[in-house]
Amino acid sequence: MNKDLERLISLHDLDVMISDLQNKDIQKQEKKLGLSPAAAVEELKKMRGELALLIARRSRDMYDQLASHYGNAVVPVIHERCSGCFTQLPTAFVASPDRNKQVETCPACGRFIYWCD
Amino acid sequence: MKRPVFSDWNIKSVNRKAAIAELLKLFPFQSNTQDLLLTALETREQAEPTIVHKGIAMPHCRSILVDDFMIAIGKSEKGIPWPEEKVKVIILFITPVKPSGPDEHMKLIRHLAKLLRMDGAEKLLSADSPIEAASILKFTLQESKQNE
Ligand SMILES: [Zn+2]
Repeated sequence: MNKDLERLISLHDLDVMISDLQNKDIQKQEKKLGLSPAAAVEELKKMRGELALLIARRSRDMYDQLASHYGNAVVPVIHERCSGCFTQLPTAFVASPDRNKQVETCPACGRFIYWCD
Repeated sequence: MKRPVFSDWNIKSVNRKAAIAELLKLFPFQSNTQDLLLTALETREQAEPTIVHKGIAMPHCRSILVDDFMIAIGKSEKGIPWPEEKVKVIILFITPVKPSGPDEHMKLIRHLAKLLRMDGAEKLLSADSPIEAASILKFTLQESKQNE
């Protein structure tokens, strides 16, 4: 898999983690388990900053724009459709031998897409 | 909350990251996906070790790489440095990222928190088999060689 694509997926999962740990209900349950979600969020934000810097500037800026517009910037391809906007992907995309070998975006919504196992 | 779980009651790894990787290998993912999930779980552990009871760790996250709940329980007789405190039982789970939000993820955490705060944690630490552990957590064990 393309390294930047891997980092974009990791960035997405990290953003989800930060958002979850800022969710009041999840915070409450994590605290009941003896964890400190607020402190973890601060550390995760630092790690997010470091990870983002490893991603090519163009992809990073696009990620931020997509995340603020849609809420999610990276989505899997499921049944040959972008799972963000559910648009059927063109045959050339689906049949390409370069799946996940480069950073690809959905031609309809622009989200980063990747193929699952 | 009946959820299928994978198990490894004889974890051989001697450090946190390797132990998480060992449990992730139980899931039917390609190595690339396992690596990315390991990164996510280990990042959370670096931010704050998820020790939820003396001897029990709960690495967990939501990820776009899974489309259903993935749960694994593991035990190490010797204990694994996490990295300071030793952990003997691991409850690992990854839940999918859905448009509906983190509700299901939250419910699973609440379910586990409730069980562990009762007498679940002590029972789990003394469970002799993954079947017993799964039953304490009200999970259903997946059929696999690891469980025999
Ligand atoms: Zn799309």
